[in-house]
Amino acid sequence: MIHAKNLSFSYTKAPFIENLSFHIETGEIFGFLGPSGAGKSTIQKILTGLLKGYKGFVSIDGAEVKHHHNDFYETIGVDFEFPSLFEKLTARENLVFFSSLYKKHGDIDRSLAAVGLTREADKKVSGFSKGMKSRLNFIKALLHDPALLFLDEPTSGLDPTNARIIKDIIRNEKEKGKTIILTTHNMYDATELCDHVAFIVDGTIRALDTPRNLIMSKGASKIVYTYVSEGMERLREVPMRETGMDETLQRLIRESGITSIHSSEPTLNDIFVEVTGTHLV
Amino acid sequence: MKPWLISFKRFIQEIWHDKMLFFICLSPILAGVFFRFGIPLLERFFAERLHYGLHLDQYHVLFDLLLGALLPYMFCFASTMVMLTEYDERITGYLAVTPLGKRGYLLTRLGFPAFLSFFGSCALLIVFSSSRMPLYLITLIAFLSCLLCFNISLLLFALSGNRVEGLALAKLSGLVLLGLPAPFFVPNEIQFFLAPFPSLWIAKLAVERKLILLIPAVLTGIVWILPLYRKFDHKLSRC
Repeated sequence: MIHAKNLSFSYTKAPFIENLSFHIETGEIFGFLGPSGAGKSTIQKILTGLLKGYKGFVSIDGAEVKHHHNDFYETIGVDFEFPSLFEKLTARENLVFFSSLYKKHGDIDRSLAAVGLTREADKKVSGFSKGMKSRLNFIKALLHDPALLFLDEPTSGLDPTNARIIKDIIRNEKEKGKTIILTTHNMYDATELCDHVAFIVDGTIRALDTPRNLIMSKGASKIVYTYVSEGMERLREVPMRETGMDETLQRLIRESGITSIHSSEPTLNDIFVEVTGTHLV
Repeated sequence: MKPWLISFKRFIQEIWHDKMLFFICLSPILAGVFFRFGIPLLERFFAERLHYGLHLDQYHVLFDLLLGALLPYMFCFASTMVMLTEYDERITGYLAVTPLGKRGYLLTRLGFPAFLSFFGSCALLIVFSSSRMPLYLITLIAFLSCLLCFNISLLLFALSGNRVEGLALAKLSGLVLLGLPAPFFVPNEIQFFLAPFPSLWIAKLAVERKLILLIPAVLTGIVWILPLYRKFDHKLSRC
């Protein structure tokens, strides 16, 4: 579906994105994960055809993105990080306007209901909170039923309940066969939603794999347990694959001497820090 | 409906709801009424009441030039304000990734207003011309004024960070029209300092009525468009 080879881009004389190569299959959720200013949004702008002065090769469905005709935009939906809405118009008027630019029109009332904005449908957007604007901005990108979705920090600024609603909608879209490019610095969203993630730092890809493979390849899961010995509580860690060889653990199980036990897996954030040497902020 | 028609409809609604922009677009009619009827009245008033001969006949072409440029200038100013508001609301960049596209956006925000202002400018000059210009000259002046104001709009949008900056810069942009009075007040050898401005050539064409002057008038207009469009495109890509 999307193929990039040796993609480079620069806003100034200094390179900003360097030699990126990646491949995104139809129907998958692909995440670009990285700290602010790493180049994630720039990649999205290149893929959507907004930035054309790049070097290298980037194609969507076999066609170079810089040569796309306007019809290409019938097939993509873009949710920029910051809301792009007419402040003087109501939520419904905004959706009616943006939806009318496309050949396919979605059900506006159903979309508003899906993100809990039914009651606010006829209120002006200027009076909306940040989260309400984010939700409205999100459904605006889906209304024309695009096959390819570009979502830039879709859960940013949302409370956990609304973030969950948005993530469920993203998963539904994937189930419908949509290809989704997710740009985020939220490792939990990436782990939960993405089929593949690319770690982007300083405009380069530092790692690219499934979240599970990344987690499993870099850090083994372990078991942490506590027990009482000589009147004091002691803590012990053992790698998951060596639990059968841990005699203390075997003995404590036989004697029912364990006071607490839990498994501990590294998170995508741990792997990100390990691979890139930087934090996802 | 085509995306560009929908986008243009939205643009008209925006101007309709913004009373300042709406009245700005109508203001050239008031100027036309003043130039056509107010100035002769003023001349008569000076002659009859103050016994002073205020002879402005030699400047009637200048009044017509100002009138011809006023409507495109006001239309393009209104367009720029709408564009800068949309830029502040991050809509400009979003529209560029819809079926409207960057060029569709430019067409509906600058192309159509400039096109409409051409007819408006012609109509104003036909109705209110003080110098009774021939139709061919009216058409040429209206066309060149639209081209000039299209450039001013691109300049304002490309160089302003937001609507407030745009308002401030719009006042300065009036300097681009300085070429219009030049043939009336500035000696020939000094006029050419204003040669890069299309407004000088428009004025010279109206005064001297030599069609050869159409060439520098059009060329200076087009030469400005190229770098300004690049800047416009550059700004749109970074929304």
